[in-house]
Amino acid sequence: METASDNPASGPSAAALFSRDHKVIAKQFLALGLAFLAVGGFMAMLIRWQMAHPAAPVPLVGRALFGAAGGIISPAAYTSLFTMHGTIMIFFAVTPILIGAFGNFCIPLMIGARDMAFPTLNMLSVWTMAAATGTLTASFFVPLGAPQAGWTAYATLSTAVGTPGLGQTLWVVAIYLNGASSVMGAINYITTIIRERAPGMTWLRLPLTVWGFLMTSILNALFVPVLAAGMVLLFFDRVFGTQFFIAGSTIKGGGDPILYQHLFWLFGHPEVYILILPAWGIVSDLLAFFARKPAYGYRVTVGAFVAVTALSSLVYGHHMFTTGMSPLLGESFMVLTMIISVPAVLLFLNWLGTLWRGSIHLDTPMLYCLGLVFTFGVGGLTGLFLADIVADMYLHDTYFVVGHFHLIMGAAVLLAIFAGLTFWFPKMFGRMMNEPLGKLHFWLTIVSLNVVFGGQLVIGYAGMQRRLYDPSVYEFLRPLLPLNQLISRAAFVLGAAQLIFVVNFFWSLARGRRAPENPWQVGTLEWSTSSPPPHHNFDAIPVVNHGPHELGNPLVLARLGRDWLGQTEAAELAWPARTAPEGPAASEGVEPPDVAGPPAAPEGTT
Amino acid sequence: MPYGPPRDASLDGHLVDGAFAYLTFTTGICFAIVVVVMGIALLFHRQRAGRVAHYTHGDRRRDHVLTLGVAVAMFLGIDAVLAGRSLGHLETRFWSYPDADPAAVRVEVTAQQWAWTFRLAGPDGRFGTRDDVVTLNELQVPAGRPIYLKLHSKDVIHSLYLPAFRTKIDAVPGQTTRLWFQAREAGRYELGCAQHCGVSHYKMRGEMMATPDADWQRWLDRAVQDARLRYDATPDTALGAWDWEQG
Amino acid sequence: MSLAATALGPGRREASASRGPATATIGMAIFLGAAAMLFAAMFFAYGVMRAQAPAWPPPGQAPLPRGALGANTLLLAAASLVLRAALAAARRGNAARARTRAGAALGLGAAFLVAQIVVWRALVLGGAGPTSGIYGSVFFAISGLHALHVFGGLLALAVVLARGASSVARTERRLALAALYWDFVLAVWLLFFFGACLR
Ligand code: HEA
Ligand code: HEA
Ligand code: CUA
Ligand SMILES: [Cu+2]
Repeated sequence: METASDNPASGPSAAALFSRDHKVIAKQFLALGLAFLAVGGFMAMLIRWQMAHPAAPVPLVGRALFGAAGGIISPAAYTSLFTMHGTIMIFFAVTPILIGAFGNFCIPLMIGARDMAFPTLNMLSVWTMAAATGTLTASFFVPLGAPQAGWTAYATLSTAVGTPGLGQTLWVVAIYLNGASSVMGAINYITTIIRERAPGMTWLRLPLTVWGFLMTSILNALFVPVLAAGMVLLFFDRVFGTQFFIAGSTIKGGGDPILYQHLFWLFGHPEVYILILPAWGIVSDLLAFFARKPAYGYRVTVGAFVAVTALSSLVYGHHMFTTGMSPLLGESFMVLTMIISVPAVLLFLNWLGTLWRGSIHLDTPMLYCLGLVFTFGVGGLTGLFLADIVADMYLHDTYFVVGHFHLIMGAAVLLAIFAGLTFWFPKMFGRMMNEPLGKLHFWLTIVSLNVVFGGQLVIGYAGMQRRLYDPSVYEFLRPLLPLNQLISRAAFVLGAAQLIFVVNFFWSLARGRRAPENPWQVGTLEWSTSSPPPHHNFDAIPVVNHGPHELGNPLVLARLGRDWLGQTEAAELAWPARTAPEGPAASEGVEPPDVAGPPAAPEGTT
Repeated sequence: MPYGPPRDASLDGHLVDGAFAYLTFTTGICFAIVVVVMGIALLFHRQRAGRVAHYTHGDRRRDHVLTLGVAVAMFLGIDAVLAGRSLGHLETRFWSYPDADPAAVRVEVTAQQWAWTFRLAGPDGRFGTRDDVVTLNELQVPAGRPIYLKLHSKDVIHSLYLPAFRTKIDAVPGQTTRLWFQAREAGRYELGCAQHCGVSHYKMRGEMMATPDADWQRWLDRAVQDARLRYDATPDTALGAWDWEQG
Repeated sequence: MSLAATALGPGRREASASRGPATATIGMAIFLGAAAMLFAAMFFAYGVMRAQAPAWPPPGQAPLPRGALGANTLLLAAASLVLRAALAAARRGNAARARTRAGAALGLGAAFLVAQIVVWRALVLGGAGPTSGIYGSVFFAISGLHALHVFGGLLALAVVLARGASSVARTERRLALAALYWDFVLAVWLLFFFGACLR
């Protein structure tokens, strides 16, 4: 183990599997996550096939997958499909890519560290995740079939009463292991960000990406254990025959199925911010980089991240408005949910402020980011509809909810993944991704994405429930078939468009243009080392003098002839001649270096 | 509308539609502004030879005031107005149950995989007696009178969903939930299950017949006679019925 | 916990200076925060179960053996105290005494686990096992999860002892982490014992 991680040239050898290098671990998470993204996406295609052509044999793959049923998706198979699609996408695709891969790759490089604070724990985290994926995969192949209780696994359906098979038990174990991996990652990320920042990297000089990961990790550390508790109790119910979630008698006392929902959503709502915070961080940085302007209102953005993190656990009841919760509780959750949209609006305004009067470069990562801003806007605003109890009585458990969260997770978060991949690909693999292919992928994706998820909103408003095997059972849903078919066509285009990305990915890996050290001409630390970085990241630990987005500073332009300034470059470069850094310069917007927060760097870092 | 919701047949459904319309309108305007601002930036603030981005961190006091001001204004204009209206509607309409209303028709709903059972108390007004009328997947109600449901479930969580009445409520094992509504006009309306409750969740469909009060009375009388004939006093028959007041 | 065990490979020395006691302590603190949330959620479930029962213990359920559990509590508290004493010895530079005391703490912790198992066995044999009703279920779930954490602490302590005393300072650092963890495990148990088992 020790030797593997210390060999700078560790290629894809067996030894690299046990590497403790954060960059190698990041690639392991990436490979795992992308593979499952493909699986989850494929399942989405099957779901859409069933919605467009209920109980018709699936073309091409039907015989192979559903041979026993003559190529038709059975109700049981459909139930497993959406359960596993949701589970895989959230826990086994987005989590490993966004948090596992990007978090691992970016945090040490962006804060100027040699590695994570606890490299062995990091390796353990990826292996726990691997064990979780193994367990989940196994759940497909056991007697009585794959899990069928939905990604939320509501009791009593998820107990042995509703889903007796071994598959559901394995699901519980897989989620538990997945959570353990996330908590390990969170411990590492938080400690690394607190302790391993390079000298001069004050809290307010951190790239917003790092802030996003920090807040995500805090939520992971605090709320994944709550899910774990739910899984432990569910496991007890399923395996030992206890009755935590099975209603008991009023005389002897007993379990409560609603308790499961409290535990699940007390985790589940923070979870959605766990997924969006890194995306927010990435897009806040990238918009600045490609508009060649400092991120507008950096402090407000950071404040918004913190506010969302603080509030996130206080709103979870909005998923339970129709369970008959007490009126006072329901009303509080409704108002709190509406309040949490204020920081989101602040973020949004700051993004617009960053774009405004910029010099916008429409490289592929930027296109993905702009698409993200658009889809997150629609997705977030539809969240307000659901936050209103009166509207939610009608919209709850319809496709309107499905449309809401896909616009955020299936569109915005997915686009953040594409943006991050194209942006950091050169640093990860030393080659550029192909721009024309990337642009083609972007346009096909963004158009079809909006048809699919916008269509889901319309269908949900028309009243169609989620998780319906065959909507035509209901008369009032029959006229929606053409719309469902349109959505499915668009989804197939969307799915096919992803093949372009796959091709681009592998082609660029092998043949892409060699990446220079700093292809995007930006100043954050990861771009001050070679592409890909050496094993130890930086030859000398950098000393930081500037914030992350020192772009378009006229003084720098005059002095250096370029519009960006590295975070490590001399402090005076950004200041008018002979002005002490302490005195705020007359020129607007030039801010004094921040000294807020704990000591910049632990003594003796270098 | 070609792909709109089913026609609203309830007394209070228009409040739901109103909230939806209000949100669509206000958030639509905000989003349109956002798109226009983005569009202008993308059209006119693009990279060009010689163009230099305007240098600002947007971290001066007036930038903060601007963003905070817009956010608070949005909150007050959209969220707060909506919350005020909705809280009022919940207090005065949706959560103001007709406990004391003698005209209200009370129904016990039992959900199970994958069917709905509806129980009316009959003339004696008490549940679990020999004049109870029990129907499967079909709910008979009078139009123009409040309908007051109490629900529970025998196995897993279900959710009674009445799209034409813009409402739904979960049926939970081990506890009682309640819902009230009123049909504005007679008609046949679909009801369904909205909460994933197993493989045949999609089949858990039923119908609600709203008939003029007199017709409904006639139906009830006949049904009560049938029920009396069929009643046998084994505990099975009363199973699923519980004391209304206890719930 | 592998926190204390993240020794550095060669070539990472430069970054390692900052990975002193503070880094490990922060990592441990975050871990304990996560574990605290796990138990908080379990206690929340306990509270809901208890609030919904007509009486506690529900009719027909024998109350928990409070005396035996109280004795076990003393064992666990003793383990924690002795570990603190071991840490104090290490701080004074007395490596040998630190090791014997840590060994004693290990023994006391193990004795706690055994004693818990005895209680469980008695309960199961007496018909008050985990499936006997909600009263038994919550007790077994929480005390079982707690016992797992105690077991983890025993392993960690065993590792500290087995690693030997390459230097007193290092032993001291590891003992400090172990003591922190043991205090946490004790705190959870005290909360459960006084807040739930006794009332
Ligand atoms: C990453 C994922 C993510 C994110 C970020 C959000 C964000 C939000 N969500 Fe969502 N949500 C989910 C994922 C997410 N959600 C999922 C997965 C479910 C369903 C789970 C299931 O049941 O399976 C769900 C379900 C869900 C429900 C329950 C619905 C139901 O089941 O009945 C509710 C109800 O309140 C809700 C509300 C919100 C709100 C108010 C926000 C807010 O944070 C949104 C804030 C954003 C904005 C307000 C828009 C941005 C601002 C603008 C566009 C600027 C406007 C213009 C100007 C200033 C000029 N969500
Ligand atoms: C992050 C989360 C996420 C993502 C990205 C998606 C993506 C998609 N989802 Fe999913 N979905 C959920 C989370 C997500 N979904 C959840 C939580 C549920 C609820 C489950 C439940 O009810 O329990 C759900 C349910 C759900 C339903 C409702 C089912 C029902 O209620 O009956 C539908 C129906 O249309 C659907 C469709 C789609 C479609 C068309 C996509 C498309 O965006 C998919 C397009 C993507 C691809 C085709 C994959 C691309 C692959 C790559 C890019 C791989 C690259 C690989 C290499 C380079 C090696 N989803
Ligand atoms: Cu009953 Cu779905
Ligand atoms: Cu939520």
